[in-house]
Amino acid sequence: MKPRWKGKGSEAKAIADPMSKIVSLLQSSMVQSETCGLLSSCSVLVEVDAELADLLNRACFGRPRITAEKDKQWFQLDMEEAFYLCFSLRCLKVVGEDGCIKSNEELWEDLKSKKTVFPVSYKAYSHLRHKSWVVRSGLQYGVDFVAYRHHPALVHSEYAVLALLEGGNDQNGRLRVWSDVHCTVRLCGSVAKTLLIVIVNDNCQGAATPSCLEHYTVEERTITRWNPEQSREDQAVL
Amino acid sequence: MDAEDWESCSNDEVSVHGINNDDDDEENCYSSGFLSKLQFRKDISKAVWVDDLAMAEVVEKKGKMWVTMGIVRSGNTYCFIEETLFLIEIGALHLLDEKGICLSLKEVYDKLSFEKSGCFWELFEVYRHLKSLGYVVGRHGIPWSVKGQKTKAGNCTLQGSQERNELLEMDSKDNNTIIELFHNMQITEVSPAFDVFLPNSKFRKSSPGDPSFVVYLSRGTPPSRVEIEALERKHGPIALKFCHVENGRVSFFSFDRVELAVLP
Repeated sequence: MKPRWKGKGSEAKAIADPMSKIVSLLQSSMVQSETCGLLSSCSVLVEVDAELADLLNRACFGRPRITAEKDKQWFQLDMEEAFYLCFSLRCLKVVGEDGCIKSNEELWEDLKSKKTVFPVSYKAYSHLRHKSWVVRSGLQYGVDFVAYRHHPALVHSEYAVLALLEGGNDQNGRLRVWSDVHCTVRLCGSVAKTLLIVIVNDNCQGAATPSCLEHYTVEERTITRWNPEQSREDQAVL
Repeated sequence: MDAEDWESCSNDEVSVHGINNDDDDEENCYSSGFLSKLQFRKDISKAVWVDDLAMAEVVEKKGKMWVTMGIVRSGNTYCFIEETLFLIEIGALHLLDEKGICLSLKEVYDKLSFEKSGCFWELFEVYRHLKSLGYVVGRHGIPWSVKGQKTKAGNCTLQGSQERNELLEMDSKDNNTIIELFHNMQITEVSPAFDVFLPNSKFRKSSPGDPSFVVYLSRGTPPSRVEIEALERKHGPIALKFCHVENGRVSFFSFDRVELAVLP
């Protein structure tokens, strides 16, 4: 499926304003401000100024929280987003309830304890973010993530993403049986997205520390339904 | 800046016409329009069932479908059970037993259940589905034609002939592989199925070329990545499709390897 840009000029805007650059600006701004977030259950809350708020919105990290506060803005980050900013981009520090800054290893343990499959979902998230795709929660479509070519205001997401652990048996039991495949593919199609499975292989490294992630490998596959009634003349469609 | 939730603004619910109009299927199979598409022919071909081969030997050819059906060995044409059954269902073939008596449809359905036939109901449904849409379908790994001497007499005289022995040898080896794979269903969830060529292609049994894709039928659970990769290595550049049959519905899925672009 081709990218579906929203309205005229969106594609041009995206080309003029590459996501990698926006993320890079976000990174340096956060480092400069020594941004610090608070881990609260499964979310990380960050207090930011106007400039940083703008960059977070442009780079699509987190969701703004509407509060009565005037000078500062609060953002709520998902686990994967927070860890990406901490561990991959090294621009965020996270404190716990005790007020102490957590090391990456401590944060990793915390997040794993809240979500067993965190290593797999994080690897898939960071794999796509590294390639400058915008990755957001895919919960409303029954998948792990949705991936956008640029900012969601400019383009519809092309891929509905499932992060699966290599070895056939997804710990969360997705796509275990054919009816699951039918269901997910159909749903994705009805919202004009292609189902993308990101297969993470831990190469027997386990998940004791975040440095294990380095040794994980990733394979991308799309699952698409082929309709024999429609493709009879066109070789290319196959 | 406004705390606008730009994601919920996007209305991703699109009604994309034509992509998944499966709801029409249920209606269609009962409407008279569907039935009238089955053309009951006047020119009916004849074949004789050869039990040892679990194949039909064609003795009288009528119509153009023989360009894309049956395998040729030493100038004779033989059909697997799925081809035979397909042609009988559409009224294009009379199948006789070795005594020359015409077999009933029931008797032919029975033959489908025999292990030796190398086929089973769901596999037949896949075959029938694609054939009815005009695709050229053949069993993977079985050559469409093999050069050799023509037999002197056309009808049922393979007894003890060299050609018959060759045919038996060649096909029983392939059939055994298929049967073995059926037995191994517990271990591998897919079984080899068909080479498929696009309809309207200039198909010739003497030089069919590479199929457009190979269809693997899954009976149990969806194929694992390991299985898919093994098959991809086996088939090289030829596309693969994985087929699932349930409740008479035949669905095809591709599990293609991709690599999302690194964006600017």
